[in-house]
Amino acid sequence: MNMPPTILDLTITPNDGRRTHLWLPLFLLWPTFLVLFVLALAFTIIADLFLLVFGRRYHHYTLLLVRSMGVLNETRGMVLRFNDGNASVDMTFQ
Amino acid sequence: MSEDRSRILTMLAEGKITAEEAEQLLDALDARGGGAAPAAAAGEPAIKGDPKPLLEALPKFLYVKVNAENGDTVDVKVPLALVRSGLKLTSLIPPQAMDQINDSMSEHGMSIDFSNLKPEDIDELVEALREMEVNVDSANGDKVRVYTA
Repeated sequence: MNMPPTILDLTITPNDGRRTHLWLPLFLLWPTFLVLFVLALAFTIIADLFLLVFGRRYHHYTLLLVRSMGVLNETRGMVLRFNDGNASVDMTFQ
Repeated sequence: MSEDRSRILTMLAEGKITAEEAEQLLDALDARGGGAAPAAAAGEPAIKGDPKPLLEALPKFLYVKVNAENGDTVDVKVPLALVRSGLKLTSLIPPQAMDQINDSMSEHGMSIDFSNLKPEDIDELVEALREMEVNVDSANGDKVRVYTA
């Protein structure tokens, strides 16, 4: 599993040539995400236990949460570029 | 000719790897093919030599490039690990949500039932993606390319 993306490199270039280049420090959001993740994890564990006790077939919310986090981490290296003729947008997850 | 050997030569022909890298890959492949069974039986690694070039030459990204006739362009580079993780996540989606997803997809003309995807199928699917290349040239000039590298 990768580390989550640390920086979102965002470049917006309108046709007038005034380029805007932003490095958004995603790593500053990690502590907030961690707190939310732990809270959600506690909630899903309790929910899964209840679902298991009551004999429900689906009781995988905890696993779903953890795997979702894994998917988020794998976004590192993703590049999105769009150009609609008026402006071009370049997003890179680093 | 083995499938791996053919893939290496194809990558060389397409210019994705250099002749030197291809040679290293073929050497690594020979080493693996020559002594895989005895080495595995003896508890040794199946690939002799440095496996790094072999691993590095494997495609890691899925590229989607769209060039519209009116000049609009979309260029997306998605890590294959993300594709794999995303597909594996589908097996954990609650059944009610999965039904809604399937219904919505079929409404949009994509009759794929993700609930039938098994983890081993996903691995095969991602492996198959590594060899996939789609080129679409529409009559009005739109171009779409999907490939891995």
